[in-house]
Amino acid sequence: MSDDTRSDQDPIPVAGPDTGSAAGPATGDSAGTPTRRRVLALGAVTAGAVVSIRPALAQTVGSVLNCEIPVPDPSRAGSYIDPDGKTVPARTKGAFPPSPRAFKGEEVKRAMANGSTLPGTDSQRSRAYVNYIRRLQRGQGGFTCFASLQMPRG
Amino acid sequence: MPDALYRGPPEDGLLIAPLDAFTAVYHRASGITHLLTEPAPHILAILQERALSLDSLLDRLERDYDLADGTREALAARLDELVEAGLVARL
Repeated sequence: MSDDTRSDQDPIPVAGPDTGSAAGPATGDSAGTPTRRRVLALGAVTAGAVVSIRPALAQTVGSVLNCEIPVPDPSRAGSYIDPDGKTVPARTKGAFPPSPRAFKGEEVKRAMANGSTLPGTDSQRSRAYVNYIRRLQRGQGGFTCFASLQMPRG
Repeated sequence: MPDALYRGPPEDGLLIAPLDAFTAVYHRASGITHLLTEPAPHILAILQERALSLDSLLDRLERDYDLADGTREALAARLDELVEAGLVARL
């Protein structure tokens, strides 16, 4: 039964069918409430769409703060980062080369909280990288990590 | 690789709460909460209905959504994450 991998029956509730069949009820509300066919990005292979929060507080902190944010996202590897945090072609004047290593969530959190520089960077470069991280969108590597840093810890 | 099947937990095995950019998913079996971003919640919802192979899942997503970047590789990566998190079983 459940192994029938080609079954065409019972359309998935998460999204309505492509034609505007009156407001597909969109039961998969966990993912938003699409009422018609919508765009879904699978994301870059390296993007990361899951962060797990362990039950114990100490582990929670560890889990979130040890996640990593590459600068830039591997799908744009080699791009430079301009002072506003945009990715620009390599060797663009005034922009900074990619970071040789990904930053830990904890490092980013600290840099954002008190303006300290990211490890291995000077202040201008660090600011450009932080701006880049602030601009991350879902589907990009490090987004889940960055966004989880914004969650209050209790 | 051989056609492994992927399956999510039963419907009552998860508590799901949308939180703006995230979907928070509490997994009753493990007591662990996960923060998911698109497309993980969509994948999970499908795999809670029935077990599917990677290719069938991709077909299904292509039917239901306009996939912005529907590569098999990317989907495999998303599945690996869900498996690693314990939210999806590879059969």
